[in-house]
Formats: sequence, C-alpha cells, structure tokens
Amino acid sequence: MNRAERLRNHLMALPPALYLLLFFAVPSVMMLFASFRYPGEYGGLAPWYYIEDGQLSLDFTLENWLRLFESGIYLGLLFKSLGYALLTTLICTIMAYPLALMIARSQKRFRDLLLLLVILPFWSNFLVRIYAWMIIFSPQGALTIGLNHVTGALGLEPISLMFSSTAVITCLVYVHLPFMILPLYANLEKHDNRLLDAAQDLGANRFQCFWLITWPQSLPGIYAGAILVFIPSLGIFAIPDLLGGTNGIMIGNVIKQQFVESRDWPFGSVLSLVLTGITLLLVLLAAKLGKTGGANSGT
Amino acid sequence: MKKLLCCFVLCLSQFAMAEKALHLFNWNDYIAEDTVTRFEALCDCKVVQDYFSATEEMMAKLLAGGGDYDVVIPTQNAVEALVKQGFLMPLDKSKLSNIGNSAAGYMNKAYDPGNVYSLPYAFTTTLIGYNENKIAELGIDPADWSIIFDPAVLTKIKGKVTVMDDVEELFGAALKYLGYSINDTDEKHLKEAQAVILKAKPYWAAFNSSSYIKELTVGNIWVAHGYSSDMFQARADAAEAKRDFTVNFVLPKQGAVLALDNMVIPKKARSPELAHMFINFMMDPQNAAELTTIVGTGNPNAAATPFIDEDILKITAIFPTPELQAKLETVAARNAKERRLANKLWTEIKVR
Repeated sequence: MNRAERLRNHLMALPPALYLLLFFAVPSVMMLFASFRYPGEYGGLAPWYYIEDGQLSLDFTLENWLRLFESGIYLGLLFKSLGYALLTTLICTIMAYPLALMIARSQKRFRDLLLLLVILPFWSNFLVRIYAWMIIFSPQGALTIGLNHVTGALGLEPISLMFSSTAVITCLVYVHLPFMILPLYANLEKHDNRLLDAAQDLGANRFQCFWLITWPQSLPGIYAGAILVFIPSLGIFAIPDLLGGTNGIMIGNVIKQQFVESRDWPFGSVLSLVLTGITLLLVLLAAKLGKTGGANSGT
Repeated sequence: MKKLLCCFVLCLSQFAMAEKALHLFNWNDYIAEDTVTRFEALCDCKVVQDYFSATEEMMAKLLAGGGDYDVVIPTQNAVEALVKQGFLMPLDKSKLSNIGNSAAGYMNKAYDPGNVYSLPYAFTTTLIGYNENKIAELGIDPADWSIIFDPAVLTKIKGKVTVMDDVEELFGAALKYLGYSINDTDEKHLKEAQAVILKAKPYWAAFNSSSYIKELTVGNIWVAHGYSSDMFQARADAAEAKRDFTVNFVLPKQGAVLALDNMVIPKKARSPELAHMFINFMMDPQNAAELTTIVGTGNPNAAATPFIDEDILKITAIFPTPELQAKLETVAARNAKERRLANKLWTEIKVR
C-alpha cells in the first residue's frame, strides 16, 4: 500500500467514524455523566455543582448504580429480556431459513416478486400492525375462541392469548422476521451451485449436501440476521407495552418509564448503559463468530 | 403570468389558513367532537389536538420542551408544579367574559390562588367501571376497592381486570383501600400499598390507562379502574353497540381520587389570543354542559346546570353526594424526594 492509498482509506473511514462518534460515543458519555447525578426537581438533571460562599462543591452520587444491584429484580428483568430476544432470534432463524433458501433457489424472474412480498408488511405502519395482532389475540377473537374450543374439548382451562409473553414473542418474531430473511437471502443467493453438483457427483445425499456445503457457507448470513433481529428486539418497548400485560414487560419498558413517567433520567441512564454494554459484547461475539464462519466457507 | 400570480396568492392564503390553529394538549376523550367543530367555526381556525393519558406523561413532555401548545388541561397538582416552574402565562381576564359562570367552590383554590394562571375545566373521579351482568352473576360488590385489590375477590375475575398505568391513581386507590389518605407520604404506608398492589398484580390483565373504554365495551374486560368520564363513555358505547351486557360505574365506598382539571396557557403558546378565545368558549354554559352530557365529566360551571339532563345529575359517580364528596381527595403536588420514593416503588411493581 502506498501513501496515497493509505490516505484514501483513512478518508473513507472518516464519515462512519464521525457518525459513530457523534451518535454513539458522545451520547454514551453524556449518559455516563448523567448516571452519577441526581434527578432534577421537575425532571431532567439536578446541577452537578454548587457554589456556596465561594466554595465549589460537586454533587455526584453512586446511588443510581447501587440501586441496580440493591435487589435482583432489575438484573432479573434484563435476563428475561435477553431470553425473549434470544428466543425471537431463534424462531426467526428457523422460520426464515427455509423461506430464504426457497427464494434463493427459485427462478430468477420470481425472486424480486418474492422479496417484495417479504418487505410488503413494511408498507403499513408498525403500530397498526401491532393493533391488528391485538384484535387477533383478543378474547373475543376467532383465534382465541377456536383455541378454547380445543382446550375445552380436552378438559383444560381456557387460555388467554392477549396480555401474555406468548403474545409479545409472537409479535417480536412477526416484526423482525424480514430482518432475518433479507441478509440470509443475500448470502444464500451468492452460493456457487457447482459446489452442490460436485458434492452430488461425489456421492453426497441431499442432507449431506445441505449440512456440509450450504449450511457452513450461510453462517455469516445467519450471524448478520441474528444481530439485526436480536438488538432491536432486546430494546423494544412498544410491543410489550401493548401486548405484555402485567407480566410481559421488558427492560425497554422500564428504561422508557424512567425517562418519561418517573422523570428519573439518572437511573434511566444506568439501565440504558447496562443494556448498551451487553449489546456491544454480544455484537463483538457475533462478529467474531461471523469471521470464523466466513473463513470456514472459504469465501 | 396572472395565473401564476393567482396560484401564488392562493398558496399563500392556504398557508395563512393552515397557520391559524389552536394547539390543544388534552386528556384523551376529554372534549366532545361537536364542541371542537363549533369552536373551529367560531374562530375560523383548526383545532390541533394531542392527547395524554397520565399526568406524569404530560409533565414529562412539557418539561422536556416538547410541543408549543396554546392550551393545556392539567390536573390541579400539575397546575401547581407548572406554576412553580414558571411555565404558565397569566390569564388576561379582560378577554374572558364568561369567567363569572364558574362555580365559586371550584375557584380560588390553593394550587392557584386568585386563578391567576388557571380556570376550572371539568372534574372526574377515579373509580370502578364494570360489566354489570358478569359482576352481578358472580355476586361481587363493585362499590369497594376490594374488587381490584382483594385476591379472594379477584380469583373470580382473574385476567378480566385492568388497573390504571399511573403511579398516583393506583397508589391512591391502594392507600384508600388501606384506609389512608391518598396523599399519605409515610414510607411505611406506601410500602403497605405496594404490597397490596403486588399481591393483586397476578390477577390483573394489564396496566392500562388508554384503552379500557374499548376493552370494557367489547367485553374483553369485566372490571376497569379508570376515570368516571371514560366509564360514562364505555356505558354509552356498550348501549349503542347493543351488547348483550351493560357497563356501569360506581365510586368505591372507601373514597377515591378527585381530579379537577384546568385550562392553562403555556408561556410558549404560539397564539395566546386564540387560547383565551378557547378558554372563554369552554366557559360558555352550553359548551361546558356538553362536557357533562357528551363526555360525562363533573362540571365546575354553575351556569351549565340547566343544560344538563336530570338523569346525569342523578349519577352519584359524576355528581357525588355530600357524604361521598367528603371521602374524595385531590392529589397534592409531591416534592422531589416523595416523588422519587413513589416512583421507585412503582418501578419495582412493574419489574417484579
């Protein structure tokens, strides 16, 4: 690499670096600062210094961080939210894989149409789609009534779909499914079909073809999709707010509650920072896995 | 060229028309559509409405600098906080010719002596709305807070109850159930209230402050903790939809939260002129009466009474008897420390 090339590479990296600095690093530092302060009388933050008789005194506290560990409930909720997000990612992967594979293997002229169908739900507003699910899940809805005919016939207690963690996870999967399908499709579409032909020629059955050729090559696609599904579903608050009832809430709801209803920005900052930290760790992990996956596939 | 100019002028006038608007920040379902339409005709402007479903939500939005509203309808304790913050504009009484219509009992209150910044709009109580048929069938007494707090009662209606997603309202109800004042700041009593709420929580379907009208009217929910005006609407909606059940509402005998909502003008209001016009309009007896006859609120406008149906005047949940009135309390403004404690207990309830 000569100097001009190196300079060009540095310049190319500048906009994304600036973006990260401005929209990630700076706000995070601001929140870190806020997490050691007291909340203001009517919201916002209390001043962090006082001047009394010409004496400057600082007003910082560890209280907000201690509150996190005071009882296990916040960490418990964090783990529960991680569980929801993980389950969502898993179900999305299982549902998206066959679909993405089917689209990638279908004739070229159909592919665009099929992809369009995947993105179609985005044309209507997110909240409208959630409200539609609320109607589907409602106790007067056909789904619940139908299900309860079955449970009734089996002599079981009637079930309620609305206001449950089942409802929350169903909607999380529904909303995030396209984010798994698209990167997976982008990956599967690029596979070299000659590899499959060669494997078949050498006597591999269909399962072996998939397991030894397609699957390892598609791992980077899965990791990319998993990040796109996992992170937004971990922080979401609208879905549990509307469908979660008293037990289905996630960490995002509590963070929102601190910033909005409770007007306790410092504690909200603590919870946000913890969530950001965990997310970063997991992304690093996925990125690392993605790299090794890529190396295995030899592409 | 002439055409172009015409077009330009038309566009400009469109622009000017679009600009003349009253931005109203109100509780959801808290003004009749007819009233709004009539005001729009009167002022030759548009009424742009934003809604909130909890005082804390409204305060958070206003104090974070959101929305330059012309008129806001805060509850008494929020008026006090907004005044202390220097957020409100003193009212110009010379523009409010209908001011004499307000009942003296609702004027000159401690939260705004002399009504410098606020004038009463309407009042509601927070009570129990219920599916009459189901509750009668199960033999439950709806006029008692035990209907949402006592596990022995709740087992019969598990998953069919919603309570308000609002720290003041829910703690207020729990404190009343325990026989304390809703403004009790004793940490021990608040923790008792928290324990009552936590014990009842598994039986509730959801914390819900915004869609319980619909849930009650559809029949998804049998018991809802909410505002009297909302329950009035739920009852009317269920009757209109010809459901095979009726919705009714009642004040629990232990007493409840009384909310006196007021009209105020923020300092940042874009058109104070229109804001004053709106406030005066709402104090007109007939318009004020619509708040009761259509929305179902209690009415602080003395001149409005002749315009209100007698049937409504007889509903004790809207116009409480003196005996019940004595047990109603308004929420006082909490100081920062008290608010932090209550919010901490509330967050713990949500998380557990």
